[in-house]
Amino acid sequence: MRNKILSNKAYPVVFLAVIVIVSVVLLIAVNSITSPIVKNMQVEEIKNTLRSIFPEMSQYELDDEVYIIYKDGEKAGYAFIASGSGYGGNIDILVGLDSGFGIKGVSILSQTETPGVGSRITENSFTDQFKGLSASDIALKSEGGKIDAITGATISSRAVVKAIQKKMVEIIDTLEK
Amino acid sequence: MSDHKDRSNSKQPQSCHPQKQYVEDNKKSSSRFWKELAKGIVISNPVFILTLGLCPTLAITNSITNALGMGAGVIFVLLCSNIMISSIRKATPPLVRIPVFIVIIATSVTILSLVFEAYLPPLYRSLGIYLPLVVVNCIILGRAEAFASKNSVLLSAADALGIGIGFTIALVIISLIREIIGTGSLEIFGRQLFKLPGLSTHPLLFFISPPGAFLVIGIMMALFRLIGVIKSE
Repeated sequence: MRNKILSNKAYPVVFLAVIVIVSVVLLIAVNSITSPIVKNMQVEEIKNTLRSIFPEMSQYELDDEVYIIYKDGEKAGYAFIASGSGYGGNIDILVGLDSGFGIKGVSILSQTETPGVGSRITENSFTDQFKGLSASDIALKSEGGKIDAITGATISSRAVVKAIQKKMVEIIDTLEK
Repeated sequence: MSDHKDRSNSKQPQSCHPQKQYVEDNKKSSSRFWKELAKGIVISNPVFILTLGLCPTLAITNSITNALGMGAGVIFVLLCSNIMISSIRKATPPLVRIPVFIVIIATSVTILSLVFEAYLPPLYRSLGIYLPLVVVNCIILGRAEAFASKNSVLLSAADALGIGIGFTIALVIISLIREIIGTGSLEIFGRQLFKLPGLSTHPLLFFISPPGAFLVIGIMMALFRLIGVIKSE
């Protein structure tokens, strides 16, 4: 009986199909457990980052891709996520703007740059340079702007600067309309 | 999979290393369990002796956090895939065994990456593309084909643990050297352990870059080889 099943020509196909179906069911189960956790965490992370840029924030709302920050019911600023590609992958940056469209604060949400070199874009000594700048000032010093690149990590620094600059112009355009 | 060709003419379990013939002993299975476990750590260390899985080794050993995360991930995937493949080994048709192995390995890796994403997001992000790429890590398919598809579940689990721990130890050694020399400090899961004065202000960035990984791995391989040569004499 056993040999009859094993020597059947359709057996390998059926066996593989069963393995695939079992795997898919398993993955659906795991994904249904983890995906709400992941979603929650992303929302929580953005909220915390917004709070670090706008300490006075009482609430915020997401309008298309712009986060509008409210302080006691009044608009206190805006925030948006800029992304660019660095030396080791995508870099996502949360940028906060004050009501006059100057930069209030910058925070790196995610990056995969080289640890110890490109990853220094997350350090305050780099991100604090953006404070108070307007869109036209955002470029590396070597390219006529006001941002010092990190030593040995020009590509990462430039990726951050370019991503912020490009997205900021877009966002200000749509906000002014 | 260098021993693919041996599959038909030998029923003995083999180590991946062509020169080291595995000697079958008829002792109790518990002593074989420990033997299989110890084997992966030194005499057939996947990185330094078998030179398997070098791509992730080169890529993620720039910090000890990554090394520990990747090591834990590989142990988990190896254990899952070896146990599952071994438990269905008698029913698996030889014709589709590689697709079956790959599906099982890919499922374990996807579960792992979903769990990492949900519970260890910083680690998930810093491992980046190398986490999904565990699927094609030749250590895992190699152990499935060379060991788990021919041995009992218990021995396959021992083999997975041994090889997995050996891989982790190799990653930790390389990343320790690279992180300390390359950044002048040591950080585990976001907590700084120590900072060397002088070296941390002017770190040797070369060691954190990919060529530095080649250099460190090369030196470590030479050392392991030297130990092997001395022992065999």
